[in-house]
Amino acid sequence: MASDFSRRDFLATGGAVVAGVFVPDWAAAFQPGTSDNARRTEVTDAALAHAAKIGASYADIRINRYRRESITTREQQVQNVSRSTSYGFGVRVLVNGAWGFAASNLVEPAAARTAAEQAVAIAKANAILAARKITLAHADRTVTTWTSAFKKDPFEVPLETKIAFLLKLNQTALVPGVSFVTSQILFADEQKYFASSEGSRITQRLIRTYPQFQTTATDRASGDFQTRPVVDRAKLMGYEYVEEYPWLADAEKAGHEVVEKLRAKPVSAGRYDIVVDPSQLFLAIHESVGHSTELDRALGYEANSAGTSFLKPTDAGTLRFGSNIVNIVGDRTQPGGLATTGYDDEGVKADRWHIVRDGIFVAWQTTRELAPQIGQTKSHGCLHCDSWASVPFPRMPNVSLQPAEKQVSLDDLFADIKRGLYVVGRGVSSIDQQRYNFQFGGGVIREIRDGKLGAMVKDAAYQSRTPDFWASCDGIGGPSLYQLWGTAADGKGEPGQTNHVSHGCPPARFRNITVLNTASA
Amino acid sequence: MLNRDDALTICDTVLEHARAAGAEDASVSIDNSVESHARFADNRITTSGQSEDLDITATVWVGKRRGAATINDSSAAALRQIASDAVQIARVSPVQREYVPTLGPLDYPADRGYAASTAEPDLNARAKALQGMLDACRTANVTGAGFHAATASATASATANGNRRYFRSSRADLSVTARTPDGTGSGYYSGDHFDLSRLDAQHIAREAVNKAVQSRNPQPLEPGNYPVILEPQAVADLIGFFTGAFDARTAEEGRSAFSAKDGKTRLGEAMFSERVNLYSDPMHAELPAIPATDEGVPATRLSLVKGGLIENLTYSRFWAQEKKREVTPGPTNFILESAQAPASMDEMIKGMKRGLLISRFWYVRLVDPRTLVLTGLTRDGLWWIENGQIKNPVRNLRFNQSVLAMLAPRNVEAIGASLRLAPYMVPPLRLSSFTFTSISDAI
Repeated sequence: MASDFSRRDFLATGGAVVAGVFVPDWAAAFQPGTSDNARRTEVTDAALAHAAKIGASYADIRINRYRRESITTREQQVQNVSRSTSYGFGVRVLVNGAWGFAASNLVEPAAARTAAEQAVAIAKANAILAARKITLAHADRTVTTWTSAFKKDPFEVPLETKIAFLLKLNQTALVPGVSFVTSQILFADEQKYFASSEGSRITQRLIRTYPQFQTTATDRASGDFQTRPVVDRAKLMGYEYVEEYPWLADAEKAGHEVVEKLRAKPVSAGRYDIVVDPSQLFLAIHESVGHSTELDRALGYEANSAGTSFLKPTDAGTLRFGSNIVNIVGDRTQPGGLATTGYDDEGVKADRWHIVRDGIFVAWQTTRELAPQIGQTKSHGCLHCDSWASVPFPRMPNVSLQPAEKQVSLDDLFADIKRGLYVVGRGVSSIDQQRYNFQFGGGVIREIRDGKLGAMVKDAAYQSRTPDFWASCDGIGGPSLYQLWGTAADGKGEPGQTNHVSHGCPPARFRNITVLNTASA
Repeated sequence: MLNRDDALTICDTVLEHARAAGAEDASVSIDNSVESHARFADNRITTSGQSEDLDITATVWVGKRRGAATINDSSAAALRQIASDAVQIARVSPVQREYVPTLGPLDYPADRGYAASTAEPDLNARAKALQGMLDACRTANVTGAGFHAATASATASATANGNRRYFRSSRADLSVTARTPDGTGSGYYSGDHFDLSRLDAQHIAREAVNKAVQSRNPQPLEPGNYPVILEPQAVADLIGFFTGAFDARTAEEGRSAFSAKDGKTRLGEAMFSERVNLYSDPMHAELPAIPATDEGVPATRLSLVKGGLIENLTYSRFWAQEKKREVTPGPTNFILESAQAPASMDEMIKGMKRGLLISRFWYVRLVDPRTLVLTGLTRDGLWWIENGQIKNPVRNLRFNQSVLAMLAPRNVEAIGASLRLAPYMVPPLRLSSFTFTSISDAI
């Protein structure tokens, strides 16, 4: 690795500080100007031309700039306000059917040529390990610009406004009996540029907003405590999400709920019919459907890390995944979805397709490298990297359970349940490496008795097996109950990368599910 | 990577800009990292790459109002920019009630955990080592997948009050999962070291292959409570939830596993087996760590549990000031080891009448922070032991188990020699009881 990559500029000026130099404010400094675009073109041309010259049959480059702003608070204190920017590029090459990749934070033509050389050298050194040559499915040559939908750029909203929002949220959540409240809001702005040796040139900008908070109630005399997290509501939206969603109502509810949870009776372990709210069901979809239908897992790419899948590559089109009312789509076009994009990280246009249709598993999540391995000529556009410094690899699209065609209400789902539980909010989740056996907790869980919602219980978690769970689904809410939830912490790969992905669903009913009392373990 | 002088020159430049922009206190830190890796699966290379980056963070205070900004660009304009950004943020932020002045000059021991060969791995030597591993997999008729990674970083920090520090560290990781072609057997093994040349690729491959072959055709076992032997990897998969509970503030605020009734904590209680020692030591020969905490406090050996008794909870600079306590010189790493002469794995197996031998755990999550009940699953090698002998492989199981109960006085029967699995040194453990709640079909 070069030892002087970061010394280029500051050493030239030494430590001298020039007083009175105009420094643009942060928002302005981040906007790409024509000089930025010209530099990007120069760097792209340098990398791709050099890679081709020294043996790459295919090359691409991602030049990405990420800007983030984070505010964390507890009670009526601001703990931290921070902003960060990260800018750099990654070059990926195919040489004799093997991949190589190199990345640098120096976005300059000379560094781009060096990175192309490093990537080609890696591919050549690894040639003795390439038992099979990589081939890529066709992708259209695309030259375009795409921006995610947002009304208000969060980076143009004054910090004071954002801090005031969080402190008001905390104040609202601190109802009598609540001991602590923590809250955080994160804004992310991704400016991504993709160019390939096939001629694609794609510029994209994505804005995401991530609010979350947690209430805690403690009983100092007994040493007991309970928490009520409200997380996973992040969306591909601007600051309008903060202004338009009723966050304060959620905060007050979370305050009352945690106080009630501290006094709630422990759940009796056993079998229950359960109705799972979108705020928890999204995670069950993520773990049991989203990950099991990633083709790279079924082909063994993730065997050493995230694991494989209970589905085999040949199962698409024939295997029964759930009851015949279960319809699940992969969708990178869904408004507000965290995995929504214009094009994936190898320039394939965002797609929407059925993964499960009428209960049958019908299609995998694919990339240009994966699609040919199951005889397909087109990728569903699932390649993603979490940074310019990361090797792009298959990641989950938004994967969502479709609502019933007619209006089915929550009361309809409860109606014939004699002994059941209604699971709301995220609790602890865990699932095995082939996505069979899972255990999920909830933020708030209430009894259902003879079709009516009852008292809150604590220490409950449900366990099931993916095909059994989805086969037991006999009720799905209607379109008006559909909600989009999502996680910003979907980990996969080595080195580990983080994906941001949403899952939409209405509440759904599952029969005869095992429920544990986790406090008795 | 940046040397000490260049790294601290960047820090000083940003400090100077911050002072000029109106900061009354400031801390500037740098993280300069290089990373190189190769992944393989299906007995062939999949992806491989390298990257380099430099993050510079300025944290400033103006009238005890705090602001922080990070950038990965060391140009003169960028250094001026982040100082200005941080001051702009501070000016509009409320007073930080938990402000503690930045550290002044302090002495730090020299770091020990850096090897130049890890920072610049030889690509051809790596390919040859991986080829040997894939050959071992093919010879045994198993499918190998794995990961080889070498990372190194230089970190530096300087404060307006005169603290200056610079450390280098490196880490090499190698892991393999071998799976049998019939899909009924799977084995995993890994190793890590700060010095890449100390990784034994053939040993790691051999262990994974043996586990795969020996774990074929597992038999179902009724979930319930069983005696277990946890291999070091299995202990490493659980222990982070335990080491994360030693924070004094959350314990004293009444929301941790070490909170006690009436607002007290469990400091000084003999909660664990007398066989258990847990401590941190940045000078540990096998597991050296950067000799400073994240807050920059010089780190030394710190005992957390000695002979089963909780000796220390950890105090941050703010909480120590608030509670008029000394700030804790750690932790920087965690060494779990036997307080007595360690038992060998053979002795542990021979001494077990009936129970399970567990290779590792997967997807472990904290179910209950009050009791540190965790859930997760066994993975890549689980066997039934009867009358001191390994009898047959067992289908994977989900557990729900409290770590506090796991290490409780009467539950720990034997502790073996500790093995490096960074950031831990962990031993194998033989335990009287471990709770399993369901069977998993996963291999």
